[in-house]
Amino acid sequence: MSASTIDQIQRRFEGDTVPLPGKRVRQVLSIVLFFVLWAALVRFGILGFDKFVGPETTLVALVESLAGAPMTEGGETLYEHAAFSAYRVVVAVLIAMGIAIPLGLTIGTSRRWEDALFPALEVFRPVPPVAWVPIALLLMPTFRSGVIFVVFIGAFFPILVNTIEGVKTVEEEYVQAAASLGAESRDIFRHVIIPATLPSIITGVSLGVGLAWITVVAAEMIAGGVGIGYIIFQAYRLLQTEVVAVGMIAIGVLGYASAAAVHRTGHYLTRWEETE
Amino acid sequence: MSKHDSTTDDSTTAGPTPETTGKTGAIDINDLTKIYDPEGEHVVAVQDMDLSVGAEEFVALLGPSGCGKSTVLECIAGYLDPTDGEVLVDGNRVSKPDPKRGVVFQENRLFPWKTIKENVEFGPRMHDSIEEGRAESILDEMGLDGFEEAYPSGLSGGMQQRAELARLLANDPDIMLMDEPFSALDALTKEIMQKKLLEVWERDNRTVLFITHDVEEAILLADRVVVMTARPGQVKDVIDVDIERPRDPEVVTTDRFTELRERALSVIREEAERALEQEDGA
Amino acid sequence: MDSRRRLVRVGSILSVPILWFVASRFGLLAGLPAPVEVVDTYVAELYRDDFWISTIRSTIRVLASFVIAAVIAIPLGLLIGRYTVFADLTFPALEMLRPIPPIAWIPFTILVLPAAELSIMFITFLGAFFPILLNTIQGARGVEVEYSRAAQSLGADSYQTFRHVIYPSALPAIHAGMIVGMGLAWVNLIAAEMVAGGTGLGFLTWSAYTSGSYPTIIVGIITIGILGAASSMLVRMIGHWQVDWATEQPA
Ligand SMILES: Nc1ncnc2c1ncn2[C@@H]1O[C@H](COP(=O)(O)OP(=O)(O)O)[C@@H](O)[C@H]1O
Ligand SMILES: [Mg+2]
Repeated sequence: MSASTIDQIQRRFEGDTVPLPGKRVRQVLSIVLFFVLWAALVRFGILGFDKFVGPETTLVALVESLAGAPMTEGGETLYEHAAFSAYRVVVAVLIAMGIAIPLGLTIGTSRRWEDALFPALEVFRPVPPVAWVPIALLLMPTFRSGVIFVVFIGAFFPILVNTIEGVKTVEEEYVQAAASLGAESRDIFRHVIIPATLPSIITGVSLGVGLAWITVVAAEMIAGGVGIGYIIFQAYRLLQTEVVAVGMIAIGVLGYASAAAVHRTGHYLTRWEETE
Repeated sequence: MSKHDSTTDDSTTAGPTPETTGKTGAIDINDLTKIYDPEGEHVVAVQDMDLSVGAEEFVALLGPSGCGKSTVLECIAGYLDPTDGEVLVDGNRVSKPDPKRGVVFQENRLFPWKTIKENVEFGPRMHDSIEEGRAESILDEMGLDGFEEAYPSGLSGGMQQRAELARLLANDPDIMLMDEPFSALDALTKEIMQKKLLEVWERDNRTVLFITHDVEEAILLADRVVVMTARPGQVKDVIDVDIERPRDPEVVTTDRFTELRERALSVIREEAERALEQEDGA
Repeated sequence: MDSRRRLVRVGSILSVPILWFVASRFGLLAGLPAPVEVVDTYVAELYRDDFWISTIRSTIRVLASFVIAAVIAIPLGLLIGRYTVFADLTFPALEMLRPIPPIAWIPFTILVLPAAELSIMFITFLGAFFPILLNTIQGARGVEVEYSRAAQSLGADSYQTFRHVIYPSALPAIHAGMIVGMGLAWVNLIAAEMVAGGTGLGFLTWSAYTSGSYPTIIVGIITIGILGAASSMLVRMIGHWQVDWATEQPA
C-alpha cells in the first residue's frame, strides 16, 4: 500500500465518511481478532497448528493451573514454578544493580577508572548471557546459583552501559552551577551527578529486567530443574501443549508486571522530568 | 564581610583590597587573554583585556555576539583558566568557582531534579547555613510564593529566571555575574525582571557584572557601560551613566538616556560590522 | 587519546587472559579450562568442518532473521506510529505478545513450523522484531507535526513528506532499535540452538558441555562474542549509511 492511499483512507476515516467504532472498541477488536485468528488456525490446522492447542483448551488449563493443580503429573504448581523464576530474576537484578550502578558511576566520572576497567568489561559484553550457561554449570557449586549467575550477566551490562552513558551526558553547566553555589566534589556527586544520571539508570534497569527474563527462561529450559522456562519445555516433551501455552501466558504476565513495576518506580523517582 | 571561606590563593595582591576600601567584591582583570583550542583551531576569544570593577559597582558589559563576553565572565566565575593574565577578586587570584561569585545565565540552570525551594536552599545547605523561612521569604520577594514545591519544568521561562535569581540571592554572594540573564524573556517580563534586579541591588550592595547585547538595558541598569571590541575582545570604550538612582524603566524616555544610547550605539555599530565581516571571512 | 592512556586500556584488556591464566594455574576456578588448552583446542577446531558449518549457520541465521525483522518492523512501526486507527487495530494484540520472551516460543514453533531451521530463525526474528518495532513507533510519533506541516506547505506530497521528513526524523530511533535488536537476535539464537539442537554455535557450545570437552565451550563463547561484536559494528555502519541517505538532498 502506498503512503498516499493510506493517507486517503486515513482522511476518510477522520472525515467520518466511514462510520468507525470508537478507540476502545477498536482496541478490544484487536485482541478479539487475535483470539479468533488463533482459534481458526488451530481449527483448520494451518501450518502445524493442529498440533498446538486453541484458546478454549488453553483457558481451561489456565483455570486449572490457577486453581493450584500441578502442571505436570506429580510436579510443581504454576505458583511454585513462577515463584522460582521470579526469585531468580529479582535476586539477579538486585545483585546486578548493586554492582553495575556504583561501577558505572565510577567509570563514568573517572577517566582513570574508565581506562583501567572498561576495556576489560567490554571484552565480555558481546557474549550473549545464555552462552555462559555451560560455564556457569561448570563453575558454580549448585545448579541454582548457576542460573542466577547467568541471569545476573544478562541484567548487568544494560545497567552498566546506561549508567556510564548517563554520567557522561550530565551537562557540565549543572556541575558549574553547583560549584558556584559552594558545592564540593562530594556534594556535586550526590546532588548533581546521581540525580542527573537517574533517568539513564532506570532505562538500563528496565532493559536489564527484560533481558533477565529472557535469560532465565533460556537457562531453565537448557539446564532443567524447576521454573517457568523448565515447565514450558518439559510440557512440550510430554506433549502437554496446553501446559506449554499456560507457561507462555504466565511468563508474559510476569514479564509485563515486572516491566510495569520498574516503569512506575522510575516514573516516581524522576517525577521532576518534563511530562508531555 | 562574606561568611564564606576564601578559596582563592593569597599570594598575589594588587588592586583595591577589602582592607583598603572596607567593601568586598572588587574585580580586577589584568591582561586577560583566553585562547580556545590553542593547538587546533586557535580561537583568540579575548586578548589583553584590562578592566576594573569596583566593589558594589554595577557594570554592564556590552558587545556584539561572539566577541568574548561570556568568556570573560567564565574566567571571573572560575570555570575557565585564562591562557594569559589573571583575574583578581578583592586582590586574590581566581582559580576556581566560589560561592562569593554567583552566576546567572540566559538559559536557566536550576537543577531540574530539585524543587524550587530545594534549589534556593542549595547554596546555604552546602555550608550548613539553612535558615528556617529564608527561602520562602526570598521566593516571596521574587513573586514565587506558592511555587516552593514545584519543579522547574513546571514554571514559565520568566518564573524560572526569577527562581534562579532567588537561588543566587539566597547564597548571599559578594559578586553577581549575569550573562544575558533576561535576553530570552518577552519584553514585559524582561522589564519586571530589570526592576526587580535594580531593587535588589540598590538595597543589598553587591557588585554586579551584567552582560548584555541590549544597549538600553545596559544604560538603564549600570553605573558604567563597558563596550567591547569584536573578537578578540578588548575594552573599546567605557561610558559613565550619570543618571540618578533609584531608576526605573521610565528613564528610557529622558533626553540624557537618548544621548547616552546614541553614543553607545555609535561605538557598538562599528564593532558589530567588524564582527559580521569576521563571520563572512570565516 | 595520549599514549599513556592507550597503554592503560590495552593493559586492561590484557588483564583478562592474564587473570584467567593465573586463576587456572592456581586452581582458583576449579573446572575452568586453562588458556593454553583453549588455544590448542581453538586451533584444532579451525581445521574441523563442523566448527565452520556451525559458525556459518549461526551467522546466516542471525543475518537473515534480522533483515526479515527489520523489513517487517520498520514499515509496521511507521504505520502504527503515524496512523491511530491502524495502531488501535494492531498494537494491542502485539503488546499482548511482547512480554513473552522470544525463547519461550520454541516449543510452539517446533510444533507448528515444518522445519527446525524455521523454528530457530523465528525465535531469532522475534528477538530483533520487538525492539525495532517499538523504537520505530516511538521515532515516528516523535516527528514534530510542524515539520510535516512545513513540508506540506512547501508542496510535498505524502510520499515526499514521508521520505524527506518522517523517515529521516524517525531514523535515529529506528537505528537505536536495530542495535538493541541485533543484540537480542544473538541472545535468542544461541538459546534456541542450545535448546533445539542440531547445528550452530549455541549447539556446539552446549554439546561441548554435555560431552565433557570443556575447552570447546570457551572456543564457542569466544567465537560467539567475536561474531556478536562484528554484527553490532555492521549495524552501526548501516546506521551511518542510512542517515547519510536519509538526509541527502532531494534530486
Ligand atoms: N569552547 C570553545 N571552543 C572554541 N571556541 C569557543 C568556545 N567557546 C567560545 N568560543 C568562541 O570564542 C568566541 C567568544 O565566545 P563568547 O565568549 O561566548 O562570546 P559572547 O558571549 O560575546 O557571544 C566566539 O567566537 C566563540 O565561537
Ligand atoms: Mg555569550
